[in-house]
Amino acid sequence: MRLLHNYHYVAAMVLFCIGLYTVIVRRNIVKKLIGLNIMETSVFFFFISLGYLDGGMAPIRVGKADPSRMVNPLPQALILTGIVVAVSVTALALSLVILLYRQYGTLDVDRLMREEEQSETAEREERG
Amino acid sequence: MGAWRHFPILMITVPLLGAVLLPFLGYLRESWVPHVALLPLGFSTVLGFLLLGRIPSDGYLSYHLGGWEPPHGIEIRVDYVGLFLMLAICGITLLALVFSRHYISKEVSRGRRTAYFVLFLLMSGAMLGFAATGDIFNLFVFMEILALSSYALVAITGNRNAVRAAFKYVLMGAPSSIMVLLAIGFLYSATGSLNMADLAQRIAESGYTEVLTVSYILFVIGFGVKAALFPLHMWLPDAHSIAPSPISALLSGLLVEVSAFALLRITFSVFPRGAADLIGGTADAVGVAAAAAVLYGGIMAILQKDLKMMIAYSTISHIGYIFLGLTAFTAEGLTGAVYHMLDHGLAKACLFLCAGNFIYVKGYRRIEELKGAWRQMPWTCFAFALASISVIGIPPTAGFISKWYLILGNVRGEKWLYACVLLIGSILAAVYCFRVIYYMFFQAGREGAWEDSWNDAPPSMLTPVWMLSLGTLFFGIFSYLVIPSLLKAAAFLL
Amino acid sequence: MKRTVSLLFIAALAALLLYVVANMPPMGDPANPTATHVIPRYLENAEEETHTENVITGIILNYRGYDTMGEVTVIFCALAAVLAVLGRERRGAIEGFVDRSEVVSSTIVRTMVRFMVPFILLFSLYTIFHGESSPGGGFQGGAIIGGSMIVFTTIFGLAESSRRVPQRIRAALEGAAVMGFFLVGALGLLGGGEFLTYAWPKVAPGLQPSLVVWLTILVEVGIGLGGAMVLTSILFAMIREEEIATAS
Repeated sequence: MRLLHNYHYVAAMVLFCIGLYTVIVRRNIVKKLIGLNIMETSVFFFFISLGYLDGGMAPIRVGKADPSRMVNPLPQALILTGIVVAVSVTALALSLVILLYRQYGTLDVDRLMREEEQSETAEREERG
Repeated sequence: MGAWRHFPILMITVPLLGAVLLPFLGYLRESWVPHVALLPLGFSTVLGFLLLGRIPSDGYLSYHLGGWEPPHGIEIRVDYVGLFLMLAICGITLLALVFSRHYISKEVSRGRRTAYFVLFLLMSGAMLGFAATGDIFNLFVFMEILALSSYALVAITGNRNAVRAAFKYVLMGAPSSIMVLLAIGFLYSATGSLNMADLAQRIAESGYTEVLTVSYILFVIGFGVKAALFPLHMWLPDAHSIAPSPISALLSGLLVEVSAFALLRITFSVFPRGAADLIGGTADAVGVAAAAAVLYGGIMAILQKDLKMMIAYSTISHIGYIFLGLTAFTAEGLTGAVYHMLDHGLAKACLFLCAGNFIYVKGYRRIEELKGAWRQMPWTCFAFALASISVIGIPPTAGFISKWYLILGNVRGEKWLYACVLLIGSILAAVYCFRVIYYMFFQAGREGAWEDSWNDAPPSMLTPVWMLSLGTLFFGIFSYLVIPSLLKAAAFLL
Repeated sequence: MKRTVSLLFIAALAALLLYVVANMPPMGDPANPTATHVIPRYLENAEEETHTENVITGIILNYRGYDTMGEVTVIFCALAAVLAVLGRERRGAIEGFVDRSEVVSSTIVRTMVRFMVPFILLFSLYTIFHGESSPGGGFQGGAIIGGSMIVFTTIFGLAESSRRVPQRIRAALEGAAVMGFFLVGALGLLGGGEFLTYAWPKVAPGLQPSLVVWLTILVEVGIGLGGAMVLTSILFAMIREEEIATAS
């Protein structure tokens, strides 16, 4: 029953697993990054839901707002940091993707790894 | 309390400030950047030494940022173990930075050199912040700075293999960061607090045991990837062997240790002794993984043909040592683990910098190519041998002291099997280290592979190498200066 | 094979997570640990203690200002990382590349963009300065400036927009956010408080409310400026690299 009541959390966890599945199983590296972003967003969603209050209001002290009815502001403050972190990781990963695509001409993980084996055998032949 | 209580925060923020100011300097005078980058780190090191002796071994320095007392504000908490680690970080990063100046001109193209030093300073500042923080979300923030800068530094040479290794690292590192964030969320939902000391109290009172247990499991997975604990280590060999050597030294000598230290903080400061029923099972699993890591890393290191690859696998094995010290749950084991962080940091940084010297002077990466190397590069070879002795754990080096305490801790904790594993790990280390030493000193190389006259690396690269290898000797001979306090601090943590 | 193993792993993780969720405190209950422990003080005293009406801004900049200092360091680190991967142009060399970032567009689009960009910038200033009493703040404002730069660059090309925001300015201001935080922190330290104290208890106890507000605004402006410059530099680095690829 608690599971039904906490449906926000359930949704966040399902999204988390979908994201992880995308990161692990998908072969296209851009799709892997999208999966990473799904994972991040699910955790943000989870945090914001932690601050939810039945019948709550935005934590801005204007007029005679009642502090005891405001939603929890702390998760929102934390998630602002989390979003910036996610943006930064995505920017870095995308610039790596740009470079990878320029050097290998493919976005497919399996082909990237096959290139690795090929380049290793080529090196061995060169030396031997 | 004098002005010195401000020292830890200055140690952390001054390198960050330096990093932020460097791009403009790089715009004006790129050639000054390597020299100016030394200043903030040197400043931190001096402050760190001034702090020495002011923090008691059974107490801590608590600093409230912005004057907000915890749990409302963020707390910096430096205990004896933390200060010990911060000093190690300062010293090793400073030496690696000195080493970088010449080395970088060979491996990193011109448009990227400023970024290299910026990231280097960010990484050092973040490691210091990571070791000192007393707030669990703050730990996450510094972990991210650390992770981002290390991903980029692996890729900085921009060649095919480096970019691929970095991408592999991102694909394992980023999900693990998210898992840590999720674990923080669970912890927060069950306790309502983010301060470590406050968490410890509230965990003992909290009724949500399932949430806490799973949160700990997620912490272990998350930090396990960062620390390259055995089944989660796949990113490490590529990343550590392909990165420029000073960066390999930092990644291998400090970054994985600092991640292990974070798990130490979570295990002993956040989940207190009373919560053993929450984390006992997971800690046992970590012990098994660590024992497997010791054996796997050692065997794989023996099989390697590439020198840096061998050192990287040796790191996996040594991370296993540190975790075996943690899971012994005894003061001796903990002391051994912390001391091993220091001496492994020194020795591994030294080995990677030596490998860097070979690459810088001759461009040699494979172990076979090192046959007869001592004729041309005696200084590097002797430093390599000394650091190897510490990695194996032969007295009088620091490696012996830490392994002694690790084994003692596991025997006291009645984990006989793990004590045996530690011994076998040392034998494996002897095999892979002596092979290289044998090649260097007792085998004749290919005709023309090495010059007959001394032609070693420049002094700015030899000095850091020798200071690191003499450091392992110093902390082996004078371990009595540190060990009693560490034992006391470990007993205080438990 | 690998697929099956990962599916099994993810299924196990999902079961574990759902098991936790079933045992978590009920959502939205005012008696939860999250709602009763640290929060009440923030909600009741934030206005008096941090002099901001928006409690979230109070937490971000004041109670947990150190986290935000880490956050702005992360975004600066992202820039350094992108430049480390893609390389930075030599001083003033950006005009040397073949400029293909420009999208073919009609006069209507160009006129509208030229007309709209100043208003977007004005809105970002509002977001930065009004952040302490309404949703918004430094980083959001900086992101809006970055967005306007993206629009401008796609329409008018890299050469034009890098003339407007030259590397000299970007290199100096990329770290404005961290510098602002460090300045406020050091001033608080010199004023007799701790690092990141927004008031100087020993120097100017009488000035407190207005001092806190001004220092808060200083930090907000630093974050906005730094964030905008970082996003612009990342944009330029990524666009430029694609050009080299297509040009060669």
